[in-house]
Amino acid sequence: MSKTYISRHPLESRIPADPGIRAVDHLEVPQRVAIATVMAAEGGDAFVAAALAAAGDLSLRFVAPGEWLALSQLDTPEILQRNLSLLLAEAAHIVDQSDGRVLLRLSGPNVRRILAKGIATDLHPNVFEVGTSSNVLCGHISVNLARTGENEFEVIVMRSFAESLFDDLKTMGREFDLSVGFST
Amino acid sequence: MASLISCPHCGTRPKEEFSIRGDASVLRPDPEASDEAWNDYVHIRANPRGRYREHWQHVAGCRRWLVVERDTMTHEVYSVTDGAVAAREAAR
Amino acid sequence: MTAYRLSAGGLVDRTNRMDFKFDGRTMSGLSGDTLASALLANDQLLVGRSFKYHRPRGIVTAGPSEPNALVTIGQGSRSDPNTKATVAELYAGLDARSQNRWPSLKHDVGALNNLLSPFLSAGFYYKTFMWPAAFWEKVYEPIIRRAAGLGRAVLERDPETYEKVWAHCDLLVVGAGPTGLMAARTAGRAGLRVILADEDFRPGGSLLSETVEIDGMPAPAFAETLLAELRSLPNVTIMPRTTVFGWYDDNVFGAVERVQKHVAQPQAKLPVERLWRIVAKRALLATGAEERPLVFGGNDRPGVMMASAVSTYANRFGVASGKSVAIFTNGGTGYRTAADLAAQGIEIAVIIDSRADADDVAPTGTRVIRSGSVTDTKGKHRVSGIVVERSGFEDTIACDAVAMSGGWNPVIHLACQRGAKAVWSPELNSFLAPDVGNGLAVAGAAAGIYSLAACLSDGAGKAAAIIADLGFSAVSDVLPSVSGEIDPSFTALWYAPGAKAKAFVDFQNDVHVKDLGLALREGFGHVEHAKRYTTNGMATDQGKLSGINATGLLAAMQGISPADVGTTTFRPFYTPVAFGALAGTSRDEHAAPVRKSPLYNWAQKNGAVFVDSGLWYRPAWFARDGERTWRQSTDREVLNVRQNVGICDVSTLGKIEIFGRDAAEFLNRLYCNAFLKLPVGKARYGLMLREDGMVYDDGTTSRLSSEHFFMTTTTALAGGVMSHMEYCAQVLWPDLKVRFCSSTDQWAQMAIAGPKARHVVQALVEDDVSDAAFPFLAAQAVTLKGGLKGRLFRISFSGELAYELAVPAWFGEAVADAAMEEGRAHGICAYGLEALNVLRLEKGHVTHAEFDGRVTPDDAGFGRMVSAQKSDFIGKRLSTRYGLTAADRMQMVGLKPVEADKTFRAGAHLLREGAKPSTLNDQGYVSSAGFSPTLGHDIALAFLKSGRERYGERVVVWDKLGGTETVAEVCHPVFVDPGNAKLNS
Repeated sequence: MSKTYISRHPLESRIPADPGIRAVDHLEVPQRVAIATVMAAEGGDAFVAAALAAAGDLSLRFVAPGEWLALSQLDTPEILQRNLSLLLAEAAHIVDQSDGRVLLRLSGPNVRRILAKGIATDLHPNVFEVGTSSNVLCGHISVNLARTGENEFEVIVMRSFAESLFDDLKTMGREFDLSVGFST
Repeated sequence: MASLISCPHCGTRPKEEFSIRGDASVLRPDPEASDEAWNDYVHIRANPRGRYREHWQHVAGCRRWLVVERDTMTHEVYSVTDGAVAAREAAR
Repeated sequence: MTAYRLSAGGLVDRTNRMDFKFDGRTMSGLSGDTLASALLANDQLLVGRSFKYHRPRGIVTAGPSEPNALVTIGQGSRSDPNTKATVAELYAGLDARSQNRWPSLKHDVGALNNLLSPFLSAGFYYKTFMWPAAFWEKVYEPIIRRAAGLGRAVLERDPETYEKVWAHCDLLVVGAGPTGLMAARTAGRAGLRVILADEDFRPGGSLLSETVEIDGMPAPAFAETLLAELRSLPNVTIMPRTTVFGWYDDNVFGAVERVQKHVAQPQAKLPVERLWRIVAKRALLATGAEERPLVFGGNDRPGVMMASAVSTYANRFGVASGKSVAIFTNGGTGYRTAADLAAQGIEIAVIIDSRADADDVAPTGTRVIRSGSVTDTKGKHRVSGIVVERSGFEDTIACDAVAMSGGWNPVIHLACQRGAKAVWSPELNSFLAPDVGNGLAVAGAAAGIYSLAACLSDGAGKAAAIIADLGFSAVSDVLPSVSGEIDPSFTALWYAPGAKAKAFVDFQNDVHVKDLGLALREGFGHVEHAKRYTTNGMATDQGKLSGINATGLLAAMQGISPADVGTTTFRPFYTPVAFGALAGTSRDEHAAPVRKSPLYNWAQKNGAVFVDSGLWYRPAWFARDGERTWRQSTDREVLNVRQNVGICDVSTLGKIEIFGRDAAEFLNRLYCNAFLKLPVGKARYGLMLREDGMVYDDGTTSRLSSEHFFMTTTTALAGGVMSHMEYCAQVLWPDLKVRFCSSTDQWAQMAIAGPKARHVVQALVEDDVSDAAFPFLAAQAVTLKGGLKGRLFRISFSGELAYELAVPAWFGEAVADAAMEEGRAHGICAYGLEALNVLRLEKGHVTHAEFDGRVTPDDAGFGRMVSAQKSDFIGKRLSTRYGLTAADRMQMVGLKPVEADKTFRAGAHLLREGAKPSTLNDQGYVSSAGFSPTLGHDIALAFLKSGRERYGERVVVWDKLGGTETVAEVCHPVFVDPGNAKLNS
């Protein structure tokens, strides 16, 4: 007997199917992003960093020295895993986290003011520049924060914390009528 | 309200992102070392007023263990070093 | 009628009238009023009763140092007690009530205390109510509390919302008066990120009350010009209604913004208050100075006010504090108030100047008494006259308000909050801020610079220094010119001589001069002792008006300098901050995050009742129709797993992927048992010790390839084990080639257990899961039918034939649904933590109830697992010390009740039969207990001295809390399937 299993986004019960009116400040949740932990094998930090940076279709997020999250909005988790293995071979260890992480994208003129309600890091564009990423505490929850534009940030959170973080972000955005919705 | 620690990997962060283990000056003895050496390592800690080297872990950030040298009275932080770097230096 | 609204002037909007209530009476104020200015405009001077003597008290100040005008604002759960009327912004519909009076403000029964005051001196409570001791809690304290209460705390749930925000800047300027505005302008023009915070709802500080001209403009207009420029600069943030209350480590400042305290109905999307944590590279204190009250006889009578407050009410709010105002001063400020009153056409009854001569000029025709002293005041609920003494001659002068000025105290609280002591300046007769280094500078009146022109210049100058220091370049600036200033210098006067009535130092706590004298005589003369002994400075105003005067008086009484007395300790908070603001959004369901398993929805639709397990919500049991207690559900689940098959969510176990050439070596050092030779495709139970030899955590680790291991930890210690491993890898053995990361959230993991488990698993998985192909402790990547990739482990916590199946988390619910579907024919049921606990208890498997930090591997029966071959592992060295190998250590055993219907509870202690309960007779304790539906009676795991030698012996299970003593038989801890036939089937 063959089966097709349905994948459920961890925020499915939180985000209405009908997106409603999109406010200027918006929390967008992509349906599926392939995410993998990449850990450079001993001594391979520089090589892995350079190889990942050269691979154009990947987004990279800094986690720790020699450790990153690699993201692909297009590939499936399996293809991302395979591509990374081909690219890095023995130089790195790769762990699929596509089901273990949830990506949320905040954009709009007030995103910095929204994030300042949970994040202690200075997010001034001269300090936390576009392209910067780092693990930070948002309220009580550790997340990976990346600035993807002057007024756009992506937050990656562990799946089990996703509902709590989502609720927190909505509370933080209440002042600016933050809207929420899945990517279309 | 807040204290800030400069993580060498992540930048300046509030103390809430860290957890503290304690004295970073003790070195794990050789398995064959004396009972006294092991007792000192596992159980005996000074509680100095003033300069102190402690292990802090940046749990909500890069999860690296850091050696934070600070003043226990004023909380002035003198230096923050990656734990592995400090350990390799100490082993030398 | 004496206090009244002037016909014109002030920064109030006379076209915008606002009705409000005070003690149920409707009154009318203007937009731009504080509650205090509106009350004065309505001639409501009496606003409260004092704390101890219940003396009538009126408005004294026009700012945050107010000791008397504390009111409760709002109704029901929205009421705020102890709000200072002098800072409360008036709004239409504001509803204020006076406090600390019964039955009414005017007729207060507690005022009897005033007549008893000779018996209520300092230290009175300590002395009088000492005996008998039991009376304190039951009789004295409740009576004193009822009599001395301030506003009442509301017991209902606070309906308001609060939030906390971080902010960052190059320069934080505290105070938007003349100094702060100039500093912010200078820094803002140079391009610094500037935050300018001010506690008032209208920035401008003293400029709003000034009558001088600056650059040819009235002072308030000049302030508005500066503010307009600051608002146009994108790098400057102006924060009105924001009190910077504390200075903390690393130049972080705490501030509270009153976002919606000035509206009748707060908007739901905005917090009522916002707590700011401001990380500032540099900060400049431009907090100004607080006028010092004069300590004279009868100085607490309503109508006696600070001279600067009288000016502020007249100039800023267009309110006359009285029709005929007497002024008592020791410096130029009294003359400034006289000029302000004269300009408004308010009569000046007299100026009493404590100095023999001074250059200050009184308005034409005003009577000035030099070398004079006020010795008493007349009037009941408000002042009607003062008694003045000069050179032994006494005179009573009628007036309906007294403006007093005792000089100035720089507001230096923030600079002193991190331990540095205030410094006495004999030249300025004031305490000044200590040098606290680069992070925090002090400017303007806060630095003892009292002339307005000098303040403007100092603000700009101090900002310029900071600009240069931070590597910016200042834009050249022309300083504004000031005309019409007075000289506010003064001669110290700690005590007006000849007092004929109580001369109060602390109005709110009713401390008068004699109390301080008593403290000194009784040996409590140290400024910190005197504070506690007399309660001076311990009220809600924290001694803003009284602190320095107490220091001056203690010095004068001993004939020493105030420098030798010093000040009491300055601590945050500068003014009180609501608990709600400190909590922010961290309340109710937001107090801590909730972690949800990927099988949460599956469990919920199968009837799970959840229980908190750390941050996780885990299914405790799955209630079915007709089951009324948790035991009924649990017993059914246990029996079903033993007879058929059950499925349980184990996703919350910590999961760690470990890689590298030295991964096996790393595990070998981490665990007390051997891992080097674990074959690929196999799982092994591992015990981790602490360095002191006690068990830390347990779990299984599987080898998925030669350099890839997969570890599981207990749910409780998932975070702790991860940190421990990181410590070992980074600090202890930085040269091992090993990398690891958590994959806890990646996998949905379900235990499928019971004699029929294989049928269910085989129906889901392509790979052969027969005992031959997939024996006990097999661990492999598998493919589910349909192609989904998973991992399968043949491990068992229940003691049954069992598998743990892991699938990518987002597919977890669908796979668990399919397992339920496939298992239906085999009688599958979902089981929760309670059943899991009974199952493992029957099998003698341990949890952290057993591994509580006092247990060695041998205590729990794992002695032979500890490798003797390995040269080192965490905990090896101290495992061998004498105490951990002693023969009479408590060892894990099973317990069965001798009478089958008797029950056990964890925590009970074990005694020999006939022995009295005592520490000496203690034989051990029960670590886990429960009803075994398989056996039909209670069972327990326990730790018993030399327990493994005592199977068959009877012990008493002594449960002091439950009040029971049960005789039990000691037995082997494995109650079910000791030969592992089920496990290996």
